[in-house]
Amino acid sequence: MTDLRPAPEVEEPPAIPASEAEFGVIDWLRWAWRQLTSMRIALILLFLLALGSVPGSMLPQEGGDEAGVIQYYKSHPALAPLLNHLGMFNVFGAPWFAAIYLLLFASLVGCVVPRTFKLAGSARTLPPRAPRNIGRLPHSASYQTALPPSSALAVAARVLGGHGFRLRTSGDGSAWLSAEKGYLREAGNLLFHLSLLGVLVSIALGGLFGYKADKLVVAGNAFSDTQSDLDEFYPGRLVTAADLAPFTIKLDSFSASYITSGPQLGQPAAFNAHVTYSAYPGGPKRTDDIQVNHPLSVDGVKVYLIGHGYAPVFKVTEANGQVVYDGATPFIAAASGNFLSQGVVKVPDASPEQLGFSGVFVPTAVYAGGTLASIFPAADRPVVSLIAYGGNLGMNSGPTQSVYQLDMAGLKQLAAQPHLLAPGQTWTLPGGKGAITFVGYQQWASLTITHDPGQLPALLFGMGALGGLLLSFLVRRRRVFVRVTAPGPDAGLGSGPGPGSAPGSGPGSVVRFGGLARTDASGGFEAEFASLAAELRAAHEQQAPQQETGD
Amino acid sequence: MPNVALGHVSNDFMIAALIIYSLAVLAFAGDFAFGRPKRSAVTSRAQVPERADALAAVGASATASGVSGSAVSGTSGVPAASAVSGVSGAVVSGAGAGGSVPDSMPPVALPPLRAILAAGEWVRAGMALSTAGVLAHALAVITRGFAVHRAPWGNMYEFVTALTCFAAIFFLWVMIRYRAWALGVFVIGAVVVVLGLAETLIYTAAGNLVPALQSYWLSIHVTAMTVSTGVFFVAAVLGVVYLAVDHHNRRVAAGKAQPGNGIIARLPSLEQLDRLAYRTVVFGFPVWTFGVIAGAIWADEAWGRYWGWDPVETWAFITWVVYAAFLHARATAGWRGRRAHYVQLLGFATLSFNILVVQVFITGLHSYAGVG
Amino acid sequence: MPVPRPKRKFIVLAAAACAAVLAIVLGVTGFGGGGSPGVTYLDGTTNAVVYHVGHRPLAPDFTGTTLTGTPLHFYSYRGKVVVLNFWGSWCTACREEAPTLSVLAEQERPKGVSFLGVDLEDTTANAMAFIKNHDIDYPSVGDPSDTITLSFSSVVPISSTPTTLVIDRTGHIAGAVFGQITYSELTAMIATVSSGGAA
Repeated sequence: MTDLRPAPEVEEPPAIPASEAEFGVIDWLRWAWRQLTSMRIALILLFLLALGSVPGSMLPQEGGDEAGVIQYYKSHPALAPLLNHLGMFNVFGAPWFAAIYLLLFASLVGCVVPRTFKLAGSARTLPPRAPRNIGRLPHSASYQTALPPSSALAVAARVLGGHGFRLRTSGDGSAWLSAEKGYLREAGNLLFHLSLLGVLVSIALGGLFGYKADKLVVAGNAFSDTQSDLDEFYPGRLVTAADLAPFTIKLDSFSASYITSGPQLGQPAAFNAHVTYSAYPGGPKRTDDIQVNHPLSVDGVKVYLIGHGYAPVFKVTEANGQVVYDGATPFIAAASGNFLSQGVVKVPDASPEQLGFSGVFVPTAVYAGGTLASIFPAADRPVVSLIAYGGNLGMNSGPTQSVYQLDMAGLKQLAAQPHLLAPGQTWTLPGGKGAITFVGYQQWASLTITHDPGQLPALLFGMGALGGLLLSFLVRRRRVFVRVTAPGPDAGLGSGPGPGSAPGSGPGSVVRFGGLARTDASGGFEAEFASLAAELRAAHEQQAPQQETGD
Repeated sequence: MPNVALGHVSNDFMIAALIIYSLAVLAFAGDFAFGRPKRSAVTSRAQVPERADALAAVGASATASGVSGSAVSGTSGVPAASAVSGVSGAVVSGAGAGGSVPDSMPPVALPPLRAILAAGEWVRAGMALSTAGVLAHALAVITRGFAVHRAPWGNMYEFVTALTCFAAIFFLWVMIRYRAWALGVFVIGAVVVVLGLAETLIYTAAGNLVPALQSYWLSIHVTAMTVSTGVFFVAAVLGVVYLAVDHHNRRVAAGKAQPGNGIIARLPSLEQLDRLAYRTVVFGFPVWTFGVIAGAIWADEAWGRYWGWDPVETWAFITWVVYAAFLHARATAGWRGRRAHYVQLLGFATLSFNILVVQVFITGLHSYAGVG
Repeated sequence: MPVPRPKRKFIVLAAAACAAVLAIVLGVTGFGGGGSPGVTYLDGTTNAVVYHVGHRPLAPDFTGTTLTGTPLHFYSYRGKVVVLNFWGSWCTACREEAPTLSVLAEQERPKGVSFLGVDLEDTTANAMAFIKNHDIDYPSVGDPSDTITLSFSSVVPISSTPTTLVIDRTGHIAGAVFGQITYSELTAMIATVSSGGAA
């Protein structure tokens, strides 16, 4: 039935039953999915991801800086709980951050998977037919050659085939050739995006099955990888204590060397933790040197040297000479530099009352105007300054205490002044409370133990992403077309040869060569086209019979 | 022990580079003021005939020798049709109707040296001085490396001097390859400013690294970051130039300014600038990606985890995401052109913030800037 | 706008995406663990555990030196009920439960129950001072390399100090308290294990 109205601009929808006429839930989902997988939304999500990471770098985060978080609470008492509520102290584990990257990856998957199918499909289909009017392509050239059309086309096919183009020749007599190249670009693009997904999965793998632990060990001591003996233990979601690798490590010795002259006097030059370890109870003992940048690898777990310090050795005796404390006590380097270190000694089993000491260990001591300071980090002239306390340490009940701090509530100072001790010296405490001897010092090393099953996959996917990226940037998808016509009266009009022009109707043929790049946002195809054109022409001239046909 | 004498030699070369670069900037500016009054030829190596008849006007002899100086300078190079190269396979109209000339070959452009010589004495001077400046700069960086017995990018001063060196080398190549000397004023000028600030504000004498940094991964990771920062630096300058030209063009279109014969008229077209900036980012982005991966490998060796959201790591990630957004923006309708370059400049802003603020002021595992 | 029917490919894709999202969310947010057969958690907590007959892990053997210098071989205790207590002088909860352990050791000795301590992260002098101070008169072996803890960790989840294990006459671990003991808890556990049955 003829319709005199102008053609509608929008396609009329097919007739649908009334029950399906509304926009149902599935349709809303479909609309949402289309939106999610659009480039625009991907762009917005990328911006949100970048923006969301900013507070994670500015505010102290619970994962690595708990002390900073506590400090923030103290200095911003009103703001801190609100920020906590928004997840700002654990940005990268917060649900809203997860929502952003999960949506981004859903968008990624929704884009990439159909394109993978399309790429696989296009690998099977041939390039399209050559257009009739090659002169209208973004890049085109034409020239004459003495070869007849069929041989000219064969030469063109040889040249283009030699460059790796995929060819399609005309079945009928119209003498054209299509060539396409550069499928690897899309493959690289897909590889890159899928590799990013792989990186995310690897990170999740580590979060589920990996763990991290810290241990401070004094030289001469040993420890095993059990939860009760580690100082800190951060298991992944599915990790239990039974999953810990059962190794034992003994810190035979720790050495640190420092620069002794020049502008960097006192800067650390090298650290070395010499260890003996066994991978499992009863296993063969091996030795290794753990240094910064050189972790120990044992049983799929890596042990890193993170820090070090001094542990002065004290012996505390009661008034009757009974030894109630004897051991190396790790002290922690203070911010003042040169390894001036602070720590406490707790003697809970002294009688008549418990004893506590707050001390400063100075590796190379000088007295500057009555103040004790360290001028060099090596223990060339070690001195300890102690303040003694007696009373109740608070260790007999209640919550666990820090080993680096005294609970002063039940303690009172035994002597008014701090007491200085050189190695070997003893301080007899007033009131018959006992005596403390500064025997000497040891060094301690702090080790971090990590197990991350997602580490190697993340690396491999990272390299895949990089490879895909390079491929997608370096390879261009491009098509070139060749039409060869006999030079007839209408040959100059640029349209394809009509069925009437027979090959060989004149000497030689006119070669029209054109091309375009599918995604050439950066340009550069022009140079390739020009060189291809020149090469084609040269090949034709080379093959041409001896007589010249003029220009 | 650092070699103090070599450290002084390195510093001397750095000052020399600064002076030579400044003279190069003056030469390029001189080209604007006094150079040949033709549009500067930023072209790719092969010219595409915008119209077959235009080429015919140039002369059929274009195909005989394949080389013609005037052919290079006559046309502006990029046909409008290539802007829609995203159309797949369909015949595109644009390159002139039915070329009636049987022989039309895309002409081959001048080799770079001849193009420079043909561009006038100011450009010649500018290019020669830029090359000399790059040599001096490179020597400064290399002697610094010998002075400290390691790769010379271990603290902030070394990092900035090295990245500007990579930026200058990269841009020198761009100028030669793409005949982009019209942009020399801006990029080399920016290098002068940054290098000068580095010398005056954050100079540190040659010294050793703390043990935490003694790893061959230092060379790999920081090298990649230095190179890519240098490249992004160039892209940022090009982005600023793009925005300036675009702003001028819009003012002309609104009738508020004259399309004069001034500096802007001598610059490459908006499209060419856009492409140049895009290609620069395309070069830098994989290097940055590689640098982040290498950094993760180094972090795992040194700190026991390959990613820990350390502030510097986080900002490197943010930079990566923003540059990724730039690459996506160019494929999104409505975001090409001006907006995309805002994104690119935002990316460089995050990069600069990372170097200047995060590494210096926010304590984390990365605080090796060695400043002050 | 045309209303097409949802295609199968779309549904499959959406389902796959949801599954992937769920897996990743699990890795990042939360996951809960469960119990296991043959194990009863007393008082509804995971603190005190009784292992029923047939589900009792074998306690690993170990040799060591007591704090007084005598060598000790753990399997020499086979045939007796053993209360094995992991402790340290630095540990607050250990100090708090020490009097209870001391009293219980005295109380259960006539019934043939032996108490044995494993001292962790301590020097001999500190440990001896603790023993003296709290009147502990059962022996303790030092575990300087944590190897005893390590071998026991492979059969029961020793996660903190103190931990107390009750081992039956056949050398199998019949009960455990992961944390500080209470008098009633431990007495009941010892009684159950001594009588040979399970609660």
